Formats: sequence, C-alpha cells, structure tokens
Amino acid sequence: MAGEKSTALGQGAPGLLRGLALPAWLCGLAFAAALLAVFQYALRAHVPGELEPGGFTLQNFVAQAHPLYIGVFWDTLLLCAGTAILSLLAGYPLAWAILRTRSRLARSMILAIVITPLFLGEIVRTYGWIVVLGNSGFLNAALAWLGLGRAEMLFTTGGVLAALVHVTLPIVVIMLAAGLAHIEPELERAAQSLGATPARGFFTVTLPLSLPGILAAGTTAFAWTFSAFATPQLVGGGKVNMISNLVYQLGFASFNFPFAAALAVSGLALTAVSLAALSLVTRRVEQRL
Amino acid sequence: MAVEALRLDGVTRRFGAVTALHGASLVVAPGEFVTLLGPSGCGKTTLLNLVAGFQTPDEGEIFLGGESVTRVPVWKRDIGMVFQSYALFPHMNVAENVAYGLRARGMPKVEAMGRVAEALRMVRLSGLEDRRPRQLSGGQQQRAALARALVIRPRILLLDEPFSALDRALRGGLQVEVREIQRAAGVATLFVTHDQHEALAMSDRIAVMSGGRIHQVGTPEEVYARPADRFVAGFVGDATVLRGRLRGLMGGTAGIEVGQAVLEADAAPLRGLSQGAPVDAFLRPETLSPGGPALLSGEVRSVVFQGGHVDVHLACAEAAGGRAVARLAPMLASGLAAGSVLELAGPSRCAAFPAEEPA
Repeated sequence: MAGEKSTALGQGAPGLLRGLALPAWLCGLAFAAALLAVFQYALRAHVPGELEPGGFTLQNFVAQAHPLYIGVFWDTLLLCAGTAILSLLAGYPLAWAILRTRSRLARSMILAIVITPLFLGEIVRTYGWIVVLGNSGFLNAALAWLGLGRAEMLFTTGGVLAALVHVTLPIVVIMLAAGLAHIEPELERAAQSLGATPARGFFTVTLPLSLPGILAAGTTAFAWTFSAFATPQLVGGGKVNMISNLVYQLGFASFNFPFAAALAVSGLALTAVSLAALSLVTRRVEQRL
Repeated sequence: MAVEALRLDGVTRRFGAVTALHGASLVVAPGEFVTLLGPSGCGKTTLLNLVAGFQTPDEGEIFLGGESVTRVPVWKRDIGMVFQSYALFPHMNVAENVAYGLRARGMPKVEAMGRVAEALRMVRLSGLEDRRPRQLSGGQQQRAALARALVIRPRILLLDEPFSALDRALRGGLQVEVREIQRAAGVATLFVTHDQHEALAMSDRIAVMSGGRIHQVGTPEEVYARPADRFVAGFVGDATVLRGRLRGLMGGTAGIEVGQAVLEADAAPLRGLSQGAPVDAFLRPETLSPGGPALLSGEVRSVVFQGGHVDVHLACAEAAGGRAVARLAPMLASGLAAGSVLELAGPSRCAAFPAEEPA
C-alpha cells in the first residue's frame, strides 16, 4: 500500500520531489556522519586524562560483558517492556472510548487529557512526577491522610515506570485509536446478534482485530522508552539506571567517550534486534488477518 | 394455531426530544416475509434495532414466538441478522464465520461443522469454507452472512438493507435467491429497505413507514393499488396527481369528478368530506393510455425507453407539480417525441385523498 502510494505521488509531482531530493540527501548524510562518528569512537581505546581517544580496540565491547552492564541492559529491556505493556493496558480503554463515545464533550476531554502531556516538555512532566511521588508529595500525603502510612515511590523502579508510562501514553493512545478505527462497529453488533455476550464478542472479534494496532503501538512504546533519559535520570535519581543514564555518566562524569559510544552502539543494536523480532510477530499476525 | 413469530405492541422509542417511533404495532406470522419500507429517517431502522435488542423501547412490548423479549439483551434473543455491510468477521474464514453463532451457544465443534456444511449448501457456498470474506464477491459475502444468520435457526431473520451495497445488475437475481432461501428455511423475516421495487418484489406484506409511524400494512398489491393515505400513494410507485371534487359516497365507493370525467375511488380516506370538497386523485402511470375521452393532455417532455415499457413524461398544467407520467407499451409510444402533444385517457378507478390545501 505505502509503496503504491509513493509511486502515485512520484508520478503526480515529479518536479517537486526531485527538487526535495537534494536537501533530503544532505540531511541523510549529516545524520549518517554523526552515527559514524559514534561508531568510530566505540572502536577506539580510552586514554585516561585525554579527551582524544587512542588506537583501534574491541575492548569497549568486551568490557560490557561485566554483570554490572548486563544488569543495566536487562533492567532497560524490562522497563521498556513494562512501559509498553502498561501503556497498552491504560491506553486501550482510552482509545476505545475516544472512538466509541457518542458524547463529543467526553471525546474532547479524553483527547485533551491524553494529548496534553505531548505539549509539555519531558523535564516539566518529570518534575511533575517528582512532586506527585515524593516523600511529602501528593500520593504520600493522600496515603497518610487515609492512615496507610508512607510508601517509598520516588527513586524506585515503580516510580520510574509510572513516569515512563505517562510519557508514552499519548503516542500509544493515538496509534491504538488509528488501528481501532479500522474495526467496523457493526462487527461487535454482529457478534452479539449471533449470541455472543459483549465480553465474548470482545475477545473473539474486537481484540484479535486490534492486534496489528496493539503490536504497532507496543513496538513504538518499547523503542521510544529505550532512549528515555530525563525521566529515569530525575525520577530514578541514580538508583534506577537505564542505558542512556549509563552513557551519560560514562561520557560526562568519567569522560570515557569510547566506552560511552560502545554502550550506545550496543543499545542501538539491542533495539534493532528487539524491533526486528516484534516486526516478525506483527507480520505473522497480519498475515493471519 | 401457530403463535406469531413477532409481535410489536405500541412500541415507542424516543431520542431526547425526537420521537423516532410512535406506538408501532405489527405482527409477523411464522414464515412470513414482512418489509419495513420508508425514506431514511422514517424509523424503520429504529424498529429493526428494537426487535434485535440493540435498543430498548420507551413504551410498548416486543414478543418473539409469544415470549416477551422487551428487556432481554441481544445475545439471548435468538435472532439472525444480516447487516448492511454484512459484518463478516475478516479474521475468520467462511466456515468459522458461519460457525460463530453455534460456538457461542456452546455447540461442540464437530456437530457445529455439520450444521455449517448444511447451511453453506443451502446458500450454495459449498467449497468456499476456507476463503476469507475479502476473497469473496459481494454476492457471495451476502450469502455467507445469510448462512451465518440462518444456521442458528433464529426465531426471526432481520435483514438491514442487505442489497444496498451491491451492483444494480446483481440485485434482482439475489432478491429472488434470498427469498427462495428464506422460504426454504421457513423463517419469519423482517426486511428493511428504502427501495420500493425491492419491497414490492420480495414481500408477503409491506409496512410503509414515515415520520416514525407505520402508515399502512398490506400485501404489495394492496399497498400499490389501495394506498391508505397520501404518503403511501406518493411513496410507493409513481403517480400523477390531479385535483378533482367529491361527487358523493356510495357504500365503499366514492365518485370523483376530474374535469369532465368521473372516477371511482376507495371511500375510506374520504369519509367526513362534504360533497364538492376538493380531493386529489392519484393515477398510476400504467392506468393512463393514449386516446379519448381525454382525462389530461400535455406536451411530451421526454420519452424514456425502459425495455418492456416506455415512460412518457408530460408537462401538464392540471397535474400537481405540473408533470404527469404515463407508462406505455413500446408499440404505443413509437412516434412520440419531445414537443408533441399527447392526450391520455384515465382509468375508471383510482386512489383519492382529501386535497392538501384548499383549491
């Protein structure tokens, strides 16, 4: 489909597209050059006390086999998967409500609440979470008022997870809504007319048909979270570390640019592998639909 | 005496300030094919949704097979429904689609597959069990949807404009086919359409609706030849409307003076009118024929060849809207061209109603 569309566009406006080709190539070259710079740093030795790296080495990748780094990679993967799953669970009913509600007011309100975080910067949102999760923050004040005591939430994996879900939710809701919009409402009515309870209709018709949208949104949330930096940095407070935080510490606290670059390359590779696996699953599902 | 398949008792449905259905009452006998016919917004879809259970009436009762289902949810009503878009499940093949209602009722797979094969034979889709809906033609999709609705042996079959998504050329054949399948299954059927030709061609009885009311329920012949009111006369079939005067009522028959001619009409709609009161006579196009004594005359505007017959449209000052239409055998219409003047003789009997505004 996408291929056909772009050919049609190409035939429709060849002059315009040809005119845009040069800037597009220049941008592409700039991006590729930046990435190449990271790659070449990753393959060079760190000289303590020097910003300029030394000669060729694979040591930066070998050193990552240390349990400390493997642990951070593993935590990052878990946080990404957790974020994707939780934002899907939270986003699915919201996307559904946006599509199926008859009240225009309700639709606008849900959209406003879900989309607004997109327009706040990541830092602002993250500080918001610090206020909510902190020891004398909103949640703990509420718990204390209820007589349930206080809970440690800031600088915990759970707190980081909550903040990450908040960050990815708008994208997930928008992608899910786009996917769910393809499901005809008449299909649910047909299932009920055939004797299926609304729950049975949901699990046998609506949910299987939403799978492509769920996988696309989940994949995006996963990849999006992999590069999260400010949220784990501030809400995790150094106790919850993701790859990007490690890269930052090594690069800007220890000035070990080569090792930081190697970690970044490994993270990129891990993302690529995860995405490839997910896209394989997605293709399987789409073939069955 | 067999119980009626469906009974509606004074069913009313409101949406906020709008009343979509005003106290509708209707009975469908076992095996009967009843059509709800009317323009969009007339309440026919609301009525169908109330029978299906997608909506609940504000007043009145709905009975299926003698049992009140007014508060019973859709999935417990044992209905079979064919939707406008067919609503076949795109992620299931034809056999899985047809088996859906049986599986939802907890029927074991082996037994269900036997029933599915039987249903597919009935709609002549045997051999296409493994196809996905999108690999079927429009007509095949419709038959698959019909098999899916019929395989559960529903108490009533509900058809929501099932032909509107099909090519015109396909419709005629499928109408006949759907009717044959419905008759073979012996299932009472409620069919919704805005297409009078479909309604006339398929129905045992037609309920003509507008503005949330059922105007008339009758066989196609009754509804066409003896419409109960102006709306039915105007909506079902074409008509030329002439202004006349009531000459008198004798038993069930009224005499109507139109120009020099006197026509007979059913008296029921004219009861209570005094002699000489203005009335409108509705003349079916096939009851008009060239020659005298001329009931009306006019300049030919267009001659439309329809195969078996020819529709001649005339500009005619006496007729409502200034236009008249006659349906003639092609032989009689040969030589007619736009611009020529044609005199038409009328029938001895027509339908007549009180004039809409004083003459």
